[in-house]
Amino acid sequence: MDKGNPRELWEYVLTQVELSISPANFNTWFRNSFIVKIGEDGVVYIGVPSQFFKDWYLKKFHTLLLKILRDVSYEFRNIEYLIVKDERRKLPPKEVKNVRGALELPLDEFYINKSDNLNPRYTFDTFVIGSFNNLAYAAAQATLQRPGISYNPLFIYGDTGRGKTHLIQAIGNHFKKQYPGRKVFYLTSEKFAVDYTDSVQAGTANRFKDKYRQYDLLIMDDVQFLSKKDRTQEELFHLFNALHDTNKQIIFSSDRAPAAIPDVAERLKGRLASGMAIDIGEPDPESRMAIVRKKAASHGVMLSDEVVEYVATSMSGSIRELEGMVNSIICHAQVKGFAPDIAEVRQSLRSFTRPQKNISVKNVVDKVAEFYGIDEESIYEKTRRREVVRPRQVIMYILREDFSISYPTIGVKLGGRDHTTVIHSCEKIKREVVVDSELAKEIQNIRTLLV
Amino acid sequence: MYISIEKKIFIETVYKVARFAERKNTSLPALSSILIIAGDESIKMRATNLETGIDLKLEGECKSKGVVAIPATVLQQIAGSLTPEGRITLEHTGDIVSLTSGTGKSSIKTVPHDDFPSIPFPENQKNKIILPGTLLRTLLTSIASCASNSTIRPELSSISLSLEGGVLTIVATDSFRLAEKKTALSNKGIQGKLLIPAKNAIEIAQALPDGDITLTFDEHQCAFSSATGVMVSRLTNANYPDYRQIIPKESIVEAIVLRKDFETALKRTAIFSDSFQKIRINFDPKKNHFSFFAHNIDIGESIETLSAQITGSALDLSFNHRYLSAVLALTNTESLSLTAAGIGRPIIIKGVGDPSLLYLISPMNQ
Repeated sequence: MDKGNPRELWEYVLTQVELSISPANFNTWFRNSFIVKIGEDGVVYIGVPSQFFKDWYLKKFHTLLLKILRDVSYEFRNIEYLIVKDERRKLPPKEVKNVRGALELPLDEFYINKSDNLNPRYTFDTFVIGSFNNLAYAAAQATLQRPGISYNPLFIYGDTGRGKTHLIQAIGNHFKKQYPGRKVFYLTSEKFAVDYTDSVQAGTANRFKDKYRQYDLLIMDDVQFLSKKDRTQEELFHLFNALHDTNKQIIFSSDRAPAAIPDVAERLKGRLASGMAIDIGEPDPESRMAIVRKKAASHGVMLSDEVVEYVATSMSGSIRELEGMVNSIICHAQVKGFAPDIAEVRQSLRSFTRPQKNISVKNVVDKVAEFYGIDEESIYEKTRRREVVRPRQVIMYILREDFSISYPTIGVKLGGRDHTTVIHSCEKIKREVVVDSELAKEIQNIRTLLV
Repeated sequence: MYISIEKKIFIETVYKVARFAERKNTSLPALSSILIIAGDESIKMRATNLETGIDLKLEGECKSKGVVAIPATVLQQIAGSLTPEGRITLEHTGDIVSLTSGTGKSSIKTVPHDDFPSIPFPENQKNKIILPGTLLRTLLTSIASCASNSTIRPELSSISLSLEGGVLTIVATDSFRLAEKKTALSNKGIQGKLLIPAKNAIEIAQALPDGDITLTFDEHQCAFSSATGVMVSRLTNANYPDYRQIIPKESIVEAIVLRKDFETALKRTAIFSDSFQKIRINFDPKKNHFSFFAHNIDIGESIETLSAQITGSALDLSFNHRYLSAVLALTNTESLSLTAAGIGRPIIIKGVGDPSLLYLISPMNQ
């Protein structure tokens, strides 16, 4: 409590008074009173509505109030009662200061349109086009030109944080603008599955079917989560047929190619891939710089080229993380009132950059051998037994991918192999990881062991 | 406490005092009670709702002293059922008051009287005027009805009393119309201004006795004291708007009509007023006609023409009929004079031969 603040002080006094008198008395006598001011000479001025109150305060509550105030501080010497003007009593003191308005996130970032689930924040205006997503963007535009005909379904895939959701939502938002009468619906496959199970439970499966068949553009995000949900897949299959037959546009996104989604019925896989499947690759440095610039500019902050370059290159990875870094810089800029320089950015982004992993080759070999349950020595030997070859390749792959060790060094460390052998192994695993989800999972697990 | 009072006095006093008790179901029971004080000199009844307060003496026999608080509604209902002959006795034992009248005896639970607030009187006894109770009563009740009902602007829901040069000017306005009445005072030296909440003024006026009333006031409180007791009210702590600015100085037309004609014609035309209670009045100096016109889509329309003495130019103005009829309560002269200053300007109504009253109404949009 700040004893110099009349409001806080009065709040405290009220809590104390409430304990010592009956609720009826408290409500009658204290509801409309407040501390007007605290005099410099230690006199507290309490504002009351009328003479009735003043007299009664003097008679009944003066000693109590004085005791409470003295307990707070001995600076409070006495209490004076003032009968306050009626206007002042009617208007409770308001202190709405919004000096930090600029810092608050605008509400529309969280706003989602209920009828179509689309977030209006995602538009083509804020979408940065680079070589990595050029094709996807072109396909999106073509789809918008002739929805349901050009590319149906449109299947966009790529790693997390590449802008898939942004692109497909932008298509939805643009579609809404371009064809005002038509219905758009955006949902994630997870929501679809939940909706389906709910409707089955409630016995309203037919209504469920009707609900989704009415849309002119259906956008389903993250279809990879449908794997292993056979009934939902079947429902999607029927829905797909119904929409496709009536030339309604369908758009999917996933983190991998249709063929690579595990545990999805073949007939659905085939249909997912039947239109246009486009990969959004990793953004090149130039695109990343463009994204940083655009994001910063949209918040009204101009960053120097140096800073932009630093932010764009200091870490590889998803655009989402990039945005997070930019947000952090913007926040700093708004607090301080000017755009930060490169040194400050380096300082403030330290938390975003992953710690450099320093780990010995032996350690990796240890962990992998342990993971596959084989003898560590056998990795270094020239054996070509199948159970050893695969782990050895995985080790090479991890050393190359995660720790950027040169091919020849890897070869030497792993029992004096030729660098071409190492290149071959890495390429092989790289290829297989895309299609073999078991292997991908294994590698993922090994990576967690290495951290 | 043991007291005995004549029933007639008891009934009257309870009626008067009970009005001042808090009628809302407040959390503090003492506020909705009547405090009966039996002392050496007299028996007193008190009530307050923290806006107004009353302290009345009543004649009676006090056999033993004491103080007791009894719920006002209970006392009021008992008083309403009594016949005014004979005496009533009140005896206080424990937390029960036994009330005996004639053949019946009732025991009433009392309320803790420690919580009963003291009734504050103005500190400065110098600000004092004396007026006959009957006059003050009519002044307060008639003027207070012109004050605003809304509590948004406390000054407009109050009546303004200003004392200057031996004249008491009472004003009330709700921003659509304004009533001002002047009364000469016996003592000329007093200067001052007070704003009494209109609600409180009406309460007090209705309890005022006929005899001379002494009005004392200070910055926050006013008191109306008479031989039998005192009534107090808090004062509105705000600045009254400078209403003199809106009173038109010039006029373009004046009509003098008979009060009787005005009243009946207005009453009949009001039947045809629309949902905004609009009535149009017309000054016709050529024919010396003053007319009311009202049109209601659902009912029909009506026109009433009165012969009047009109000087000036022709004019049409529309008003809320309730505001027009309110003037009748403010004066009782035979003729009324209506003075208009033009389209969109307020109209002034006065009683012919009654310089004390000024009543002003803002017109409605045509």
